Amino acid sequence: MTITVSASGLSLHYGRTRALDEVGLRLSPGVTGLLGPNGAGKTTLLRVLATAVPADRGAFTVLGHDPGTVRGRQEVRRRLGYLPQTPGFHPDFTAFAFVDYVAVLKELTDRRARHREVRRVLEEVGLGDVRGRRIKKLSGGMRQRVALAAALVGDPGFLVLDEPTVGLDPEQRMRFRELIAGAGEGRTVLLSTHQTEDVAMLCRRVLVMAAGSVRFDGTPAELTARAAGRVWRSDRRDAGAKAGWRTGTGEFRQVGDPPEGAELVEPTLEDGYLLVLDGAVDAEVAA
Amino acid sequence: MTGHGDWHVPDDDLRAYARGTLAPPALWSADAHLAACARCRAGLAEAAGPVDVDAGWLRLDAELDAPRAGWCEGLLVRLGVPDHVARLLTATPVLRRSWLGAVAAVLAMSVAAVLTTGAPDGSPTLFLALAPLLPLAGVALSYGPAMDPTYEIAVVAPLHGFRLLMIRTVAVLAVGIGLNGLATLALPAYGLRALAWLLPALALTGAGLALTPRLGPVAAPAAVGGGWIALLLAAEAAREPGGGPLAPFTAAGQGVCAGVAVAAAGVLFLVRDRFDRSPSAH
Ligand SMILES: Nc1ncnc2c1ncn2[C@@H]1O[C@H](COP(=O)(O)OP(=O)(O)O)[C@@H](O)[C@H]1O
Ligand SMILES: [Mg+2]
Repeated sequence: MTITVSASGLSLHYGRTRALDEVGLRLSPGVTGLLGPNGAGKTTLLRVLATAVPADRGAFTVLGHDPGTVRGRQEVRRRLGYLPQTPGFHPDFTAFAFVDYVAVLKELTDRRARHREVRRVLEEVGLGDVRGRRIKKLSGGMRQRVALAAALVGDPGFLVLDEPTVGLDPEQRMRFRELIAGAGEGRTVLLSTHQTEDVAMLCRRVLVMAAGSVRFDGTPAELTARAAGRVWRSDRRDAGAKAGWRTGTGEFRQVGDPPEGAELVEPTLEDGYLLVLDGAVDAEVAA
Repeated sequence: MTGHGDWHVPDDDLRAYARGTLAPPALWSADAHLAACARCRAGLAEAAGPVDVDAGWLRLDAELDAPRAGWCEGLLVRLGVPDHVARLLTATPVLRRSWLGAVAAVLAMSVAAVLTTGAPDGSPTLFLALAPLLPLAGVALSYGPAMDPTYEIAVVAPLHGFRLLMIRTVAVLAVGIGLNGLATLALPAYGLRALAWLLPALALTGAGLALTPRLGPVAAPAAVGGGWIALLLAAEAAREPGGGPLAPFTAAGQGVCAGVAVAAAGVLFLVRDRFDRSPSAH
């Protein structure tokens, strides 16, 4: 498998917080999920890989270019699409004007070619019909698609998406997943999320991060397999459970070391994720 | 968005539209209607080869996007600014009407104060003290993560951060200096002395930018602005009663300002690559 992005020893701290601690990874074409609870360091890693902030230590390459040098950084940026965690807009701009602005930032200066590209990406995210509408009049899901369109300008080989499905209703989320799946054909996509559902439906590979370091790197099936024989149901919390939560039927679903004679159940991606985190998860994931 | 009733663009018109030969007012009806009617857009695609459709879309674009481009962008393009540069400039918050209005109000008040209280030292001091701060603030407010909602997207774009900064700075400086200049015209009694804000304005703006990589986009201009006010207060305290203008507005002071402006430009050039990243984490 071709390696398109590789990093080793990436570290970054904010004051005393080690946001990234010796992170290494290798990405290849397709969608790779980056799972982790809040504060795990996902955004920090994506900002480093997107060349928004330099790491304190470590190095990485994107599509053969080294962002450590001024020239290499520009080459990386020419191949990059980035959807930040909280994409900002100029609210008075129309969808078209905003994407057009980003296209100018991406060095598309010829008006005709640029406008053609802007129309293409807006069509691609299904916003061709509202491109003349002001961004402040668009729904949250549509805004998120405008930001994705902006990231897709110039057909980047490396697409970095930071929790793009947060705040979307289930229908919008499904729609957005389809768009990401489409975008992942033929390019390297790194998608951060704290929803295992996103990973299960989209990703050929998944990284799990916690407290600034990578805790798991493999396929979603391998992550699920981590929980084989370690998930059980019972009507109370057991001592060997690393995490447990109440299911719709009122029983506890638990992961960890099952007690003697426990009623084992098929593991899911969630179970594997919880075990990798060793119970150190926020309530949102366990819910 | 429908509201077109049962009317659709006649086939002949669609073909002419696709060729670019449809003339107003039929052109305008077609433009307005096509924006809202998928059926006619499909008809347009049929009525023309792929190349022509593109030209048709381009026309439709003008309809959909140009009216929203705003007075500022339109004006810039008419002044000969390339359209992609104009697009970058309209994304500059301080070139919006609200900011320009605030600057004009401050200038009007300081001019009014000078005109009503007179100036015993023969120099419109209040105006000269305030006017250089406005371009400094304008440039500061047109840059940085706190001010530009799209900063994070802009910083990772291949367009060099310094180039974007310079495009915006030149535009904001031009507007700021233009407004200050207009205000100066309201003080003809002071002759050239009323222009003594110009070199300090360049010095403050330049120093603010040159210090930004070190102090950050908020602290740098704040420090420079604070320094300017402190300097004026010190000059006021040191001035002999009934003496001439404050030190920065004398010939020697103007020379120093020019020197600072040139030095700041030099430093700025040396640190240009530092505008390529988000302010560092530490
Ligand atoms: N600009 C910043 N200043 C200080 N601390 C930060 C900053 N950004 C992130 N952090 C800290 O770094 C850690 C990782 O944060 P982040 O990368 O945003 O995690 P995630 O995206 O996984 O929620 C957290 O402890 C967070 O509080
Ligand atoms: Mg985050």
